[in-house]
Amino acid sequence: MSHQTKDDIQDWQIMFAEWAEEAPEGPLKRYYQAGIVAPNTALKDTPLLALDLETTGLDPSKDEIISLGLIPLNHKTIRCQGAKYWMAKPERALNSESVTIHEITHTELAEAPTLEAILDDILLAMAKQVVVVHCVAIERQFLLNAAMEIYGYPFYFPVLDTMDIERQATFKPWWKRFGRAPSLRLDACRQRYHLPRYKAHHALTDALSSAELLQAQIAYHLDPNADISNYWL
Amino acid sequence: MDVELTEILEALCQHAPFNEIAEDPQLNDMSKEIEVQYVRAGEWVIAPSTLNNTLYFIRSGAIEVLNKEEKLIRRMNEGELFGYASLLRGGNSSQSMRTIEDSLLYCIPARWFRKLYEENDNFSDFFELTREARLRTAMVSQSSDVSLMTCPVVSLLRRPPISTPMDSNIRLAAQIMSENRISSLLITDKNELIGIVTDQDLRTRAVANGLAYDTPVADIMTRDPIVMDSLDFASEAVLKMMSRNIHHIPIMKAGRPIGVINLGDIVQKESHGSVYLISDILKQNDIQGLQAISHKMTHTFNQLVVADANTQMIGNAMSHIGITFVKRLLQLAEEKFGPAPVPYCFITLGSQAREEQTIKTDQDNAMILSDEYDEQQHGEYFNKLSDWVCHNLDLCGYALCTGDIMASNPRWRQPLKVWKENFSDWIKKPKAETLLHLSIFFDLRGIYGDNALAKQLNQHIRQEAKQHPRFLSHMARNTSQRKPPLGFFRQFVLDGEGKQSRTFNLKERGISPIIDIVRVHALACGSDRLNTLERLKDIEAAGLLPAGRAKDLALALEMIGLVRIRSQKDQIEAGEEPTNHVNPENLSSFEKRHLRDAFQIVARQQEFIKFRYA
Repeated sequence: MSHQTKDDIQDWQIMFAEWAEEAPEGPLKRYYQAGIVAPNTALKDTPLLALDLETTGLDPSKDEIISLGLIPLNHKTIRCQGAKYWMAKPERALNSESVTIHEITHTELAEAPTLEAILDDILLAMAKQVVVVHCVAIERQFLLNAAMEIYGYPFYFPVLDTMDIERQATFKPWWKRFGRAPSLRLDACRQRYHLPRYKAHHALTDALSSAELLQAQIAYHLDPNADISNYWL
Repeated sequence: MDVELTEILEALCQHAPFNEIAEDPQLNDMSKEIEVQYVRAGEWVIAPSTLNNTLYFIRSGAIEVLNKEEKLIRRMNEGELFGYASLLRGGNSSQSMRTIEDSLLYCIPARWFRKLYEENDNFSDFFELTREARLRTAMVSQSSDVSLMTCPVVSLLRRPPISTPMDSNIRLAAQIMSENRISSLLITDKNELIGIVTDQDLRTRAVANGLAYDTPVADIMTRDPIVMDSLDFASEAVLKMMSRNIHHIPIMKAGRPIGVINLGDIVQKESHGSVYLISDILKQNDIQGLQAISHKMTHTFNQLVVADANTQMIGNAMSHIGITFVKRLLQLAEEKFGPAPVPYCFITLGSQAREEQTIKTDQDNAMILSDEYDEQQHGEYFNKLSDWVCHNLDLCGYALCTGDIMASNPRWRQPLKVWKENFSDWIKKPKAETLLHLSIFFDLRGIYGDNALAKQLNQHIRQEAKQHPRFLSHMARNTSQRKPPLGFFRQFVLDGEGKQSRTFNLKERGISPIIDIVRVHALACGSDRLNTLERLKDIEAAGLLPAGRAKDLALALEMIGLVRIRSQKDQIEAGEEPTNHVNPENLSSFEKRHLRDAFQIVARQQEFIKFRYA
């Protein structure tokens, strides 16, 4: 992994302090006020939280979050005890296609609270944690949109992206490439580390999935003593 | 909202003991406290001399267990638990655990282990069963309740016994039998059982000989018939019928007959024809007839396997069928070449002598001649006789012995005194190399002719062997020649599934080592038994092995033997030649686990015996 120079360091601590000032009173302000680890914190000392969302579709501008799973971990251990799971009732009607993917039924969703009602709790659970996701673009954008809609202020958080880590780990310069590039799908990445096959598309299982993948990646590619700033996005 | 980690819970519940306690609501609570760890290959999970406070479940990957000397004890893979032994001892671990593959482990806190252990019997049972006990339980659960193996003969009785006093005449006897539609009649003297008369007796001893109707039945009855106790297993009745070629056995309770079982009762219960096969063999008058019967052997074998017979019973049936072939061939040979000029005893060696023969076997036999034998005078007769018998045995499916251990080889056709000298020589001046090839001579059974010759030779062997510790120590060392394929299981773990089509030889690496071990102990305690299980009883009684070890060996033999006969049955059904090889890919996980346990018992006993007779 490439190491950054001092100037490149992304210091989430400083940014959190700024946003804590600006953000309107409420859960999001409290989230930023809680702060985040300093960029020179070792990876092994960083509290991590694997997160996965299930949504009604892939377009953050019109699709909605319908479930969210969280599971805490550090570089060695995943703790089921802190696992959390929410379902959220979408504002718009659910199309039948995505229902089959998620195995969540209309009835279950109809009885679930709205995202607005649970986002406070989610923010509370995420406070001070560096988030672990597989493919940061999706999770971050959906939560950003939700926060803009509900709080009228952006929601950013530091992320370890297992897909990005895998991309760098499997990267080969073009003159060494042969055949197709390795798949970066969660399941394909897990198989590279001999992790078992899981049923995909349950937010909590997928969170567990990416948590396990990160541990495997740490065991193989990352340095637990290195600063978190080397890895977070 | 209730958080349920379905993936973890489901993985646990696919394996023992969690599958047994899947309904326990505590399991869900426990799963919430599980920690998951990814450990790369080659790292310690429980390092040597550390305290352990976790029960580990292998979600994927593989682990090796090492003892204090860092010697490999066993390997574990997906779905297995470890760490419980130290939890039961308060955390002190005598074994250490290291990953041999990248592994995903579920760490269950010790307090959950203790809680379930105390509150759920199904859970604690799993951990209390030792390896041997696990094997035992498995063997019991394998045989179905209704099979011949587990049902006592009394359950086959259909009516009270019918008898007549010994002074009744044969006409009355025949009337009683036809009125009652029975094929045998018990004969009593003052209400004591003294004999039995069968349909066949009336035919061959009375009618054929033109006896008068008023002849007393006592004249044609079989005196002191073979009887069995009401609680003996039906399987033993089958064996008795086969070895004695009889079709009726009175069943006794407290010294009084309570009924008679006949072959029909047994055949009705379990439709296998091994008993019929034996009488069929004895009825054949030419080689063609015997050959035709030999083709039915595989069918009989398969029927026995399907009928849940254990290896002991199948070995017994196959051996007695084989012995009957030899007997009939010798009878025919004596008709052809005339009666023997001096007494002789035809002996069988190895598995047939131990009554442990399986479907595919070479002939191993020899001949003891009376000491009156004179090469010049009698040599040619016995040469022709043995050649003819061995050649025709080959035609009946008992292939010629590749090591030429056959009666047709003059070296193995000797007067008793020469045999005794041979054995004395082997025993007094033991050479490990030589003994390796001779071990089957220490399983020796007279099957035709003057069996007293075989008896005398066996007595001689027993006396000599017991007195020569160097002989025993050589034999003991030879038992470790062939190691059980424990390394193979490692390979299996390492390579994962589907990649290899390797096989291993169950006979060479499991069955023969057990037989060899038991033979040495049997010789050491002067047992006159040949059958391995019977030898083990003598060995146990003599206190040669630590308590329970004889039983372990018997179980291991049964387990490995069972896998072998089942695999041979499958091979026969697939139209292949039955072999002693199994392909691990075709084994169920039940078989794999218990085979491994069995092989471990063998490995341990191989270690033990070297010290025992060192």
